[in-house]
Amino acid sequence: MEKVAEEKAASRWRPGDTPVPWLLPLALVLVLVFVYPILEILRLSFTDASLVRPEYAYTLESYITLLRSPDFLSTLRITFIFVFASVVFQVLLGFIIALVVDQGVRRGLRGTIVTRTAVLSAWAIPGVIIGIIWSILYEESAAGILNHLANLVGFGSIPFLSEPNTALASVTVANIWRGTAFSMILIYAGLQTLPEDVLEAAKIDGANAWQRLTRVMIPLLAPVLFITLIIVTIETFNTFDMVMALTGGGPGRGTEVIALSIYYQIFQQLNLGRGAAAAVMLLAVNMIITFVYLRYIERRQGIE
Amino acid sequence: MKSRRVGRRVLSRNASGISRRDFLKLSGAGVAGLALMGVAGCGPGDELQETLQWQAIPSYSLEGTDQARVEYLQEAIARWEEEHGYTIEPLVTVADIGAANARLLEQASQGRAPDTAMVDSYLFPRFYEHVQPLEDLGEGVSLDDYFPFAQDLMTDDAGEVRGLMFTTDVRVLYYRRDLIDTPPASWDEVLELGRDLANEGLDAYLFPAGRDEATMTTTVLPLFWSQGGELTDEEGNPVFAEGANREAMINVLEYIRSCVQEGITPQRVTTYGLETDLNGDAASGNTAMFHGGNWQVSMLQEIVGEEEFVEQWGVAPIPAEDGSSFATTSGGQMWGIFTEDPEKREAAISFLNAVFVGDEGMTGWCNVGGYLPPRETVFDLPEYEGNEYTDSFREHLDQYARVRPAAEVYESISAEMQVALSGVITGETEPEQALDRVAAAVGA
Repeated sequence: MEKVAEEKAASRWRPGDTPVPWLLPLALVLVLVFVYPILEILRLSFTDASLVRPEYAYTLESYITLLRSPDFLSTLRITFIFVFASVVFQVLLGFIIALVVDQGVRRGLRGTIVTRTAVLSAWAIPGVIIGIIWSILYEESAAGILNHLANLVGFGSIPFLSEPNTALASVTVANIWRGTAFSMILIYAGLQTLPEDVLEAAKIDGANAWQRLTRVMIPLLAPVLFITLIIVTIETFNTFDMVMALTGGGPGRGTEVIALSIYYQIFQQLNLGRGAAAAVMLLAVNMIITFVYLRYIERRQGIE
Repeated sequence: MKSRRVGRRVLSRNASGISRRDFLKLSGAGVAGLALMGVAGCGPGDELQETLQWQAIPSYSLEGTDQARVEYLQEAIARWEEEHGYTIEPLVTVADIGAANARLLEQASQGRAPDTAMVDSYLFPRFYEHVQPLEDLGEGVSLDDYFPFAQDLMTDDAGEVRGLMFTTDVRVLYYRRDLIDTPPASWDEVLELGRDLANEGLDAYLFPAGRDEATMTTTVLPLFWSQGGELTDEEGNPVFAEGANREAMINVLEYIRSCVQEGITPQRVTTYGLETDLNGDAASGNTAMFHGGNWQVSMLQEIVGEEEFVEQWGVAPIPAEDGSSFATTSGGQMWGIFTEDPEKREAAISFLNAVFVGDEGMTGWCNVGGYLPPRETVFDLPEYEGNEYTDSFREHLDQYARVRPAAEVYESISAEMQVALSGVITGETEPEQALDRVAAAVGA
């Protein structure tokens, strides 16, 4: 009798028997706020939908128009220049700052915490505020800070934001300033994990500072650097707020990156179909980068 | 034996061992309870009949950051609620007015619009089919009180009044009285005077030419309209790149290019997307003339001082090509009533009249917000405060004001023209080439 009761109790389903009930709320939230919007954007990209007309038709026209448009190709070119320059310098400067701070800590120098905090503050400031700060610096009238300094040393007025090429450089510099801190944090964390004995051994073996850096530290840091590169690349592709506040994409389309172009298509020109198609292309770029990242992680796990 | 079994059962319950049936029962009861609560909350009870939904963008709502406006709204709403027994349900939409209108139109087309909502006046014709016709505009208000451009916006093609305009604005030429005796009326006069002023080291003539709507409303359209140009035809098709309109638009681009090439206008105007972006230049003392909006008066008076500003700056019509056919852009905000319930519609008219549209309401809201009243009769009320430039603004509203076309293609024309103008100013494109690109992009 007791055995039967025990068997019955054992056969009774418990929510704790399976992870499904615990994962279900998260899965529901993800489906609602992530999967559904993506599917909806994908669907809308194959329509001629407008934000102000309820009726629409399914078509490939959004993609065809977009890919044939010289403006969109120019936006892609500008985005790639912006992303490439931003990523290279963010990772490079982040690495240098992390190395300097790390060496400072190892040698017990004062001011390393202040340096870390100062660099981190750039990362903590919202993009819109950074856009406004840099627009004050770049101001081209007599009130502009950088132009005032340029005039003092006899350079004359520099069209930081009103000339397309200089504007793209100015926006990229502002973005490098903003994003360097994030790279620094990741790389600094990576530096803390380097095995002391290996570094000591290299030193005892007579390796100079440059050799220790290039032949020991960088190879050991490679996984961290790679992950930093991937994250920073995705983040830079999605940059919108700072460019919006700094130039609004101008002059002309001189600084119109793809995320900003999507915003203009949908909310300024009310062209939901074409905006969705551009968003799908940005999503594709990000997915390719994420795929590369996942493959790398898989390979590393396989090696380990 | 029994007690052990009970004990085990209690133990297993404590270990969350509920049966699948119990689990489903509990879930079902929960869902049913929630549904009942929802039904009770959404049912057509008496209480909801007395609630009136009122939707505005943040700066026109109780969630605004300007304390004086919020206090005015709180007092006026409380007074009206007390008198009429209704409760106002304030709904706040997004700050971006273009996005707010787009969402409202989407809601209206699906029959989900609030009882009454704020609409950008130039877009109002798109809402004609969704808003209710208004036979009565409220106590003491008649269509004839309004400026002609406002009457056109408020009335649909069948002649029925569909909305209540409650604020307006106008663009003008601001010029330095101490530097300029007679403000330039024609483009040639601007160029001639501008050369002299530029030779004195001044920024002679500024205007917005960046990536935002002011480039169109405050720079391109007044210059284009002054030559008789039209952006769209009556059906809303783009015609700005055809015939005389094309010539007029190319003239605008060439005129602006001349201003920049001759050093009258600095190239940095391509970074100015809003009228207020020019405030720094206007206050710097190095600017002689600029295209701006009426709302900049109070801002600039705060920066440079009230008396000093009035002493230094005068206003005149935005120069026309021929020096006489002036045109300017006007805008403003409108209330649309969407509710089909006749009682609520009546309540909405009464509410809007008391807070925004009637003599007291319009005077109160325009005074506290620094707006121009779209009802010309309000200018004559002693309670309306205005400023030293109010008479000029009134004259411009009456004689030169026009509104942007409500056609769906307008947003595309505006966005592409902003890019085209920047290209011409930076020398990347020729005026004709720039216009052709705009035409191709919008399918003109």
